[in-house]
Amino acid sequence: MPVAASAIYFLNLRGDVLINRLYRDDVGGNMVDAFRVHIMQTKELGTCPVRQIGGCSFFYMRISNVYIVIVVSSNANVACAFKFVVEAVSLFKSYFGGAFDEDAIRNNFVLIYELLDEIMDFGYPQNLSPEILKLYITQEGVRSPFSSKPTDKPVPNATLQVTGAVGWRREGLVYKKNEVFLDIVESVNLLMSSKGSVLRCDVTGKILMKCFLSGMPDLKLGLNDKIGLEKESQLKSRPTKSGKTIELDDVTFHQCVNLTRFNSEKTVSFVPPDGEFELMKYRITEGVNLPFRVLPTIKELGRTRMEVNVKVKSVFGAKMFALGVVIKIPVPKQTAKTSFQVTSGRAKYNAAIDCLVWKIRKFPGQTEPTMSAEVELISTIAEKKSWTRPPIQMEFQVPMFTASGLRVRFLKVWEKNGYNTVEWVRYITKAGSYEIRC
Amino acid sequence: MALSGMRGLSVFISDVRNCQNKDQERLRVDKELGNIRTRFKNEKGLSPYEKKKYVWKMLYIYMLGYDVDFGHMEAVSLISAPKYPEKQVGYIVTSCLLNENHDFLRLAINTVRNDIIGRNETFQCLALTMVGNIGGRDFAESLAPDVQKLLISSSCRPLVRKKAALCLLRLFRKNPDVVNVDGWVDRMAQLLDERDLGVLTSSMSLLVALVSNNHEAYWSCLPKCVKTLERLARNQDIPQEYTYYGIPSPWLQVKTMRALQYFPTIEDPNTRRSLFEVLQRILMGTDVVKNVNKNNASHAVLFEALALVMHLDAEKEMMSQCVALLGKFIAVREPNIRYLGLENMTRMLLVTDVQDIIKRHQAQIITSLKDPDISIRRRALDLLYGMCDITNAKDIVEELLQYLSTAEFAMREELSLKAAILAEKFAPDLSWYVDVILQLIDKAGDFVSDDIWFRVVQFVTNNEDLQPYAAAKAREYLDKPAIHETMVKVSAYLLGEFGHLLARRPGCSPKELFSIIHEKLPTVPSSTIPILLSTYAKILMHTQPPDPELQNQIWGIFNKYESCIDAEIQQRAVEYHALSRKGASLMDILAEMPKFPERQSALIKKAEDTEVDTAEQSAIKLRTQQQTSSALVVTDQRPANGTPSGIQLSLVKVPSMSINEDHNMAEQGLSHENGILSKVDPQTPSADLLGDLLGPLAIEGPPGTDVQSQQNIVSGLENVPNTVEAAAIVPVEEQTNSIQPIGSIAERFHALCLKDSGVLYEDPYIQIGIKAEWRGHQGRVVLFLGNKNTSPLVSVHAIILPPSHLKIELSLVPDTIPPRAQVQCPLEVVNLRPSRDVAVLDFSYKFGNNMVNAKLRLPAVLNKFLHPISVSADEFFPQWRSLSGPPLKLQEVVRGVRPMPLLDMANLFNSFRLMVSPGLDPNPNNLVASTTYYSESTMAMLCLVRIETDPADRTQLRMTVASGDPTLTFELKEFIKEQLVSIPTASRAPMPATPAPPIPQPTSPAAALTDPGAMLAGLL
Repeated sequence: MPVAASAIYFLNLRGDVLINRLYRDDVGGNMVDAFRVHIMQTKELGTCPVRQIGGCSFFYMRISNVYIVIVVSSNANVACAFKFVVEAVSLFKSYFGGAFDEDAIRNNFVLIYELLDEIMDFGYPQNLSPEILKLYITQEGVRSPFSSKPTDKPVPNATLQVTGAVGWRREGLVYKKNEVFLDIVESVNLLMSSKGSVLRCDVTGKILMKCFLSGMPDLKLGLNDKIGLEKESQLKSRPTKSGKTIELDDVTFHQCVNLTRFNSEKTVSFVPPDGEFELMKYRITEGVNLPFRVLPTIKELGRTRMEVNVKVKSVFGAKMFALGVVIKIPVPKQTAKTSFQVTSGRAKYNAAIDCLVWKIRKFPGQTEPTMSAEVELISTIAEKKSWTRPPIQMEFQVPMFTASGLRVRFLKVWEKNGYNTVEWVRYITKAGSYEIRC
Repeated sequence: MALSGMRGLSVFISDVRNCQNKDQERLRVDKELGNIRTRFKNEKGLSPYEKKKYVWKMLYIYMLGYDVDFGHMEAVSLISAPKYPEKQVGYIVTSCLLNENHDFLRLAINTVRNDIIGRNETFQCLALTMVGNIGGRDFAESLAPDVQKLLISSSCRPLVRKKAALCLLRLFRKNPDVVNVDGWVDRMAQLLDERDLGVLTSSMSLLVALVSNNHEAYWSCLPKCVKTLERLARNQDIPQEYTYYGIPSPWLQVKTMRALQYFPTIEDPNTRRSLFEVLQRILMGTDVVKNVNKNNASHAVLFEALALVMHLDAEKEMMSQCVALLGKFIAVREPNIRYLGLENMTRMLLVTDVQDIIKRHQAQIITSLKDPDISIRRRALDLLYGMCDITNAKDIVEELLQYLSTAEFAMREELSLKAAILAEKFAPDLSWYVDVILQLIDKAGDFVSDDIWFRVVQFVTNNEDLQPYAAAKAREYLDKPAIHETMVKVSAYLLGEFGHLLARRPGCSPKELFSIIHEKLPTVPSSTIPILLSTYAKILMHTQPPDPELQNQIWGIFNKYESCIDAEIQQRAVEYHALSRKGASLMDILAEMPKFPERQSALIKKAEDTEVDTAEQSAIKLRTQQQTSSALVVTDQRPANGTPSGIQLSLVKVPSMSINEDHNMAEQGLSHENGILSKVDPQTPSADLLGDLLGPLAIEGPPGTDVQSQQNIVSGLENVPNTVEAAAIVPVEEQTNSIQPIGSIAERFHALCLKDSGVLYEDPYIQIGIKAEWRGHQGRVVLFLGNKNTSPLVSVHAIILPPSHLKIELSLVPDTIPPRAQVQCPLEVVNLRPSRDVAVLDFSYKFGNNMVNAKLRLPAVLNKFLHPISVSADEFFPQWRSLSGPPLKLQEVVRGVRPMPLLDMANLFNSFRLMVSPGLDPNPNNLVASTTYYSESTMAMLCLVRIETDPADRTQLRMTVASGDPTLTFELKEFIKEQLVSIPTASRAPMPATPAPPIPQPTSPAAALTDPGAMLAGLL
């Protein structure tokens, strides 16, 4: 595995070092000054997350009001470095109880140092799983060995846990009520031309799970995906059931999924970690069901007037509805006055983002509300540049709808105690970057 | 301000200031801009109050750095509002948001004009301020007359007139025509009589701009400026509110002195005297005090005064006073003051009179070199570099070397470069130079550029006397355990070339040399290895009789590198290996490197380049621009074969290879064309020094092209005459000039040989006067370039082509000489050795489309360095006897002397500073004269002359000259002979002797061969 980091720095927005850790001595301690001078104090900041200054590479990302900077001098694996940062941040969040910002860092210096020691050795990422780390990096006080009071909790055998076969799950969990929650969350990315033809369209989805199960359960998940179904029909030598099958691309699984079994049987079976986790991620590029169609007409009438007409059509089932629909229609910077007519929701002009913002809180399926607006522009002394017409952007959430059509066919739980489990399945589709050119 | 009551504005400002970060601020501002746009679009509902409020907001947003590209109409319309607060915001926003090219301004011009000619003072002020801020051609055209009227009107209050003056200044800068009206000069002069200091200060600013543009028109203002200065500095006749820490209006003082500096000279003696009185007072009255503000003000005045003193070329006394004052400054603890002191001293160096006085502060300046503040150290270095001359070079260079080991890295490169240049320029003897450079390389190897060691190699190669010494030194350095790569290069090169000269010393046998050099091989990068290989080859060649063991060792090394991946190393290894097996022919091919042609030191050029970032007026820069390196000293210039040659002016020196050797050169070239021809490379002057040093060692060209090379030589010889003509810089007459000089140049020159001031050259456009002062071996010559015309002379260039014995520094010649102006160019002359050669001033300028070029001899001739001295009989005779026989005493019978009475001859002798001592010689027909000759090499040297005339035949005489220096004796004898043989007259036949008209050398190959560079250029 390639090196991911020679040093890691946590800086606040002013560029002060909050905390840092050098993992390898191939970078100087003052390299962060170079970062401050050449990146933070220039306009470069935020343009490119990887920069090279004086033979060192800087990978940085901003999380709330903290910059996390990784410095390496060798040819490092950038993706690994960023993944490490993201995981480390989620680890810190789980330790600090949600927030990760400057104050949280200041309040947890010692803990962060302890964690930084643990999660990376000599530039190579180590175990970043909060469940495991919490076994031996605790936030409680250390009990004096001279204290006579016997320990009320058995000290968990951290070593065994980390090196064992099921590193992500502790033994001996007991729940009164055994429940599994499964969410399929999809976000739709779309770029559509003004003529209505789809230029780019894909769906990125993930399956999130929350398990409250006793013991060491074995779970098996069945989806209506193509490979799984074909394999199943092969094995059972019976024809595929009618209905749509989905072709999943770029599937990645959580480490708990048994990959050998997936390779041989194409089923997703796993021993889940306790609590919340992301079971798998996937992408779909074919056969996407678009929830909305947008039909804009924008006319520039002379130098100082514009007419905007937008029709939005919901194309999902009539019984379903979308929530929090926001349509942002860009207008030129010199917009002075606007007037609207909408059939549903509310529209206004937002000068800060130079957009007409049309909001519809609840948007039933198979309807098509319209908005028409008149925009007056102010004349400027600058040479009239032709307006670039940025695309219309849209935000929405459609519950119980998957743009990919993915469905959970079954979710089975086996445990040697044979308890009953309750399974909850939800679907939701959100807008990713949903853009329509006008 | 009028902000009270504008709640919306203050809310907006506090919102913006409460923003946590830039993004929030941008959002807030964009929102506000949207709001303003909406409001402006809503024209009917906009009350004047609202309009004012939103325009203020626009201004605030604009000041925050956001683009505001609308609403200018509203701003401009506010200018015509009747109420002050609205008018004010209108003017302010217009002057901030709009620039001179905006069309909107046209809309405003009329309103602005109404305000200016109106009676309301506050409106006048607002309008003037806005016009002054924006400037612009439109404004200048339509408003300048009104502004001028305001400025000179007596009914206006000073406040308005002040603003009017500054406004006019701005308009003038945009469009100089605005003041080109009749009578403005007189009005300007009147303005300077103003009692109110505020108006006077503003007017003075205007005057400075006007004078800098055209000082001739404003002559009448000069006395008034001096009066103003008198009023301020001497009479202190000003109101209390215009004194600043007890200094009467320092701003006005500074401006007045600045204005004075634009006038070339002050001719009226009264004015000049009173000005100097004031300056004297300023110089005397300034001191360093505790209060920083007071210091700042008084020093500003002082430094301007210093600049003025330098400009006016004051008497020496005043200059020395200035230097003394600066000396006090550089001794102060406060770093700012010390910095200023050092910087101004560097400037003072331009006025060369004070160099000696500055030298007194040398110790203090050297202390400043150790200052904790780097800017002070840099100034001190600049100053030291600038003030260095022959007398203190040794101390300064040693100091720099010492400092080098403690200096921080940022300065080391510059430091080592400067030390190298100084060492080269002012080396009292060449072994010292070699010492210094080797020390330099030893101490700061990383910072010593290649040019520096190339230069050492050139020196050593060109000076035979130096070679054993340099080789021994190099050998010493090699004993050190860890030496820098550059040192390895120099040592290896020197030992390779000259190591055999040391053969008899202990530890210097070829074998030992080889082993000690070879020890360093593993430590050096591949760029050095080729040099080492050459060294081995040379050692091998010099080992006589051959040492088989050494030979095997070296062959082994060649063998090893024959397969080296570096092409250069490989080629050398292969070639040396093959050559060394050939035995005897190796000797010829690897013979000692021929001498390098002289050229300007690349170091000085480099220093010029690095100077760019330092102070513009840096004395160093000036020096480097004008000085050809005195390194030309290297080859001594004995007249070949003892015949006085008239063409020794050439810069391309005759190296000390005697002509006889040169005769053989062609033959040698034939027989060894493989070796010699390839080594000949460096002689063609090339900018690439590295190529010179490394290139020649690689042997190129297959043998067996005899025929062709012969042809080359023949053609080379044919080319030679041309080359010589081109190279010898003798032509004294003008070349292809359409403009005829007034009077004879030669005659003027001869007149100037006998006196110290006069006209050197004159033509319808320009007159060049000269004024000289001679002190010992040094002299100061000032050239006065006077433009006789009403239009400027452009592309003025003057280059001094000094002969080797003179060191001449020409200060900067301005590119343009303004109409009817005179420019002074001081020249510093240092006489190094006795010689009769004459410096040539290559002068050119452009008038209209005519390029005029003149080559003028400078009357810095031998007799200028003579100092008459009278000797009594008992001093004379012991001297005369002690100098017995040639070469110290030379006798010659001169024939063809222009007949003249003895008395005339005595006068003639006195006129060229030979003191005739009557009565020393018992024979009344004889003349005895004595004088002291000053030059750097001879120092003060007594010269004695005896002339025995024949009363029967006045055309012949016997002359005996004696002095302690053979060259001097010869030169002086020749000089006197020239003077006697032909006294310069208008109708004179071409002079046979120096200073000679161009003598295109007869195209004899022998003469041509005296210039090996030219010959070799022909060969190649």
